[in-house]
Amino acid sequence: MNLKNIIAGIVVIFYLGLLGYLYLGIGQGTTYPAKPISIIVHSKPGSAIDYMARKVAEIARKYSEVAFVVENRSGTQGLVAMQHVLDMKADGYTLLGVTKSFLSTVMVNKSKVSLDDFQFIANMVLDPEALISNKERKFTSLSDIIQDANRSEITQVWIGPGTGRRDHLMALKSWETLGIDAKWIDYKSGPQSILALLRDESAVYVGNPADIKGKTDLEIISIASDKRLVSLPDIPTFKEQGYDLNESMWRGFAFKKGVPEEAVEYVTKVLQDVVSDDEWEDYCNETYVFSNFENHEEFTRRIVQETAETNHYLNKAGLLVLYVKDSPIPILLVLLIIVVGIFLLLFAFNRFSIRKFNYDLIIAGGIISLSLFFYYQTILFQIPETVNITSPALIPRIWIFTLLLLSVILIVKSKNEGTVHANYSPKTVLIIIAFLLVYLVAMQWIGYFFTTPVFILSIMYILKYRKFSLMTINAFGFVLFSYFVFNKLLHIDLPLGWWFI
Amino acid sequence: MGIINDLWLGLQEFGQFLPIIMMFIGVIIGIMVGVLPGLSPSIGVALMLPVTFGLDPMSALVLLVSVYLSSNYGGSITAIAINTPGTPGAVATTFDGYELTKQGKPLYALITSLTASTIGGLVGTIILILFSVPLASLALSFESYEYFALGVFGLTIISSLAGKSPLKGFISSGIGLLLITIGFDTQLPFSRFSIGIPDLADGITFIPALIGLFALGEIFYSIEKGDNKKVEKAAKVDLSKTLPVKQLLKLKTLMLKSSVIGTLVGCIPGAGGTIATFIAYDNAKSSSKHPEKFGKGSLEGVAAPEAANNGSVGGALVPLLTLGIPGSASTAVLIGALMIHKLNPGPELFDKEAGLVYGIFISLFFANIFMFFVGLMGNKLWIKIIAAPKSLLYPIILALSFIGSYFIQNSVFDVGICIAFGIMGWLLKRGDFPTAPVILGLILGKMIEENLRLSLIKGDWIDFFTRPGSLIIIILALVSFFMPYIKKKLMKKGK
Repeated sequence: MNLKNIIAGIVVIFYLGLLGYLYLGIGQGTTYPAKPISIIVHSKPGSAIDYMARKVAEIARKYSEVAFVVENRSGTQGLVAMQHVLDMKADGYTLLGVTKSFLSTVMVNKSKVSLDDFQFIANMVLDPEALISNKERKFTSLSDIIQDANRSEITQVWIGPGTGRRDHLMALKSWETLGIDAKWIDYKSGPQSILALLRDESAVYVGNPADIKGKTDLEIISIASDKRLVSLPDIPTFKEQGYDLNESMWRGFAFKKGVPEEAVEYVTKVLQDVVSDDEWEDYCNETYVFSNFENHEEFTRRIVQETAETNHYLNKAGLLVLYVKDSPIPILLVLLIIVVGIFLLLFAFNRFSIRKFNYDLIIAGGIISLSLFFYYQTILFQIPETVNITSPALIPRIWIFTLLLLSVILIVKSKNEGTVHANYSPKTVLIIIAFLLVYLVAMQWIGYFFTTPVFILSIMYILKYRKFSLMTINAFGFVLFSYFVFNKLLHIDLPLGWWFI
Repeated sequence: MGIINDLWLGLQEFGQFLPIIMMFIGVIIGIMVGVLPGLSPSIGVALMLPVTFGLDPMSALVLLVSVYLSSNYGGSITAIAINTPGTPGAVATTFDGYELTKQGKPLYALITSLTASTIGGLVGTIILILFSVPLASLALSFESYEYFALGVFGLTIISSLAGKSPLKGFISSGIGLLLITIGFDTQLPFSRFSIGIPDLADGITFIPALIGLFALGEIFYSIEKGDNKKVEKAAKVDLSKTLPVKQLLKLKTLMLKSSVIGTLVGCIPGAGGTIATFIAYDNAKSSSKHPEKFGKGSLEGVAAPEAANNGSVGGALVPLLTLGIPGSASTAVLIGALMIHKLNPGPELFDKEAGLVYGIFISLFFANIFMFFVGLMGNKLWIKIIAAPKSLLYPIILALSFIGSYFIQNSVFDVGICIAFGIMGWLLKRGDFPTAPVILGLILGKMIEENLRLSLIKGDWIDFFTRPGSLIIIILALVSFFMPYIKKKLMKKGK
């Protein structure tokens, strides 16, 4: 027995040990909670809701037998995180961090995911909306803003990240309450908005009190809550100045509907304990928010009421219209028609000879089809005339026309240059692509640790590698290595597979 | 002198047991994050963030900053070794780095990239220490007009990237520009071109597309060509000279210049290191004595983007520390880290926490130097990996690309994107279409559209030409676009 065989043997033994370690523990324990509870957060680490979730997890260690673990799943303004929680079992081990922004997210995106799919466990904080200005403007109160809006010849500009999101709705509400006309400019991201405010490009930035932390050139004019913040005692509220406007971002937790009652009770109790902890109070003061525990009933009542309100304002702003018409024929059929049409044309262009089809011609045909398909979709856009922006179709159409032009040049050129011949056979590549797709599907079901060695072994075999001991070391050794790097060092859990969990 | 005092204060803060240990750990983890495709610097920093909760602010920030810095270097290793940029910032390094590997000189490329990264990092740090205040006003002066102009400038680089056929290069970039319009409109809350697929509503995730296009595309292409064996032979590397000092010395001005480019572009919030690498590459090519060698294994082509990439780290910290504005995805996480440690990034920070801020600067300095030595030791390992038979290596790269794409958003759909772009990269390569312009299109498309439309809401077309900032960049863009053609004409005349 040579050394390589011995190493291969050891690697396989370690691999089997790892499998045992990972899978034998699953499914044990019957009384809730038997394993850590994950908190799914819809934004990146360091964001407001992420920080809150992590703080809760930290304080909860004092009160809970099992740990709370924060997991970030960002994308599509929270829909990715919501969908993920709905995909998991309703067993009480997956908690979703929820914020008020979800109300408009589901409405504006007209998504399949509905807030009715969730059971709202507890609200934790209220983060008041705030009107923020550059100090240069010398605004001291809401009436200064009103005066400025009425005085200036050009419309007053208010900025913030996003259209149809919380800050935008706050702007709409404020204009109504203060009785002014202003213009909303969407600067896409918080940082870009604040940069614009630092340059004094706008009168007001709509955000939250924590946004001005460390920025000495900015100041908060008013917050939309019924009392002042403990840590910002000099900042007045709308109410004090005679305007009845209350608008806060709330942050709390929800389960997927159908979670066992004991789990709901357990988590509610832990959250209640967290809120009454001194550390929690420190956290709230330091991040400029109000601690505001609401149980399931109160929280649900709030959401029902605010959903109606959000709907009202989004409608008023004309943001709930359909921006894209339905295609009269199924969209994929359109694609098929375009592809077939283009290649028939190319066929005719080459005097119906298949031999004259060179590779450039095929690529050009593909790109023309793609461009026309995109162009067809831009025809379906319908933008309400009240909205004063450049058309969403403008830029895509510029790229489309450029691509069409370049592709036609390519076709003409390729005709002169004759056929480019490819000597190689794509067979092996196609087999590998097929294997990749199988690996992708199988990994979701039976997990990373079973599928990966099989995948690596098969690809090595396809690539005609035949040294058995090295193949074994490579395949199983890689799994061990990736387990160590991802699970242990970087704390990323490799998927165990839907069948087993 | 205030600065010397502050630096001394910083040295005292940094020079303790825990921060130094954290720097070592950070550099090693950072290189690993960079090497693994899919784990970009920002993801690396985000992954390490929870680990820092238990640490004191100094150690926590040193750890994160070291990860950020060295992951930018780590990305170039796989770019050179297997044509897989481990991070977006290493795309430009593949052009010449991988060529050198194919020619059997991976060690040259690796050492050049390491040296350039180190110098870039050091220059970036020095600029950060000395000029953060004037640079902050540069960052602040960038409005949507200048961003748009910068985006256009970035696009013109294609004319120097395109290689044999400029037409094919432009087509490639057009594909990238068109595909990146999928997803949410930049002004209205609706998703364009997502044909009813919920996962497409947010558009194409960049990193899986990048991995697919480069790693998978290259693997498919070379398997089809059946050149496994040839590459294997070429990989028998000339190991005799470990430090090609002479060649490196020749590159010193280029490295310095590129580092400055990287730092300047890096400090513009939202522009980022990746654009800086392309600009530096383009600049190196147009000012080189041997522009014809670019794309065929030029050491200059490795040094310039790498110096710019690591220079951008210092740059990105400028708006973060002085204005409290995150300039990149990684610094967005860093800002979260500061907040979590009860520190408020912004002008106050320099006054209230001078020791901490300068401690971070000092740590960047040492992290760079430590990174250099770890990199040197690592090179021996990378060379072994490069020399491994491709039939052993390819399955591993495929599996790594898979995990890398999956973990960005825990999304199977993203893995699908990776495979789709892999197939696209392969098809394009077969027809001699360069793939780098696709990436450039994907990077710049959003920036161009968002800022063009924002500018038009705020003002008019004419503003692009009346504002000095945007006008200068537009002129630079025109020069960069026509330069290769003018040079060609002049060369012909000369002959």
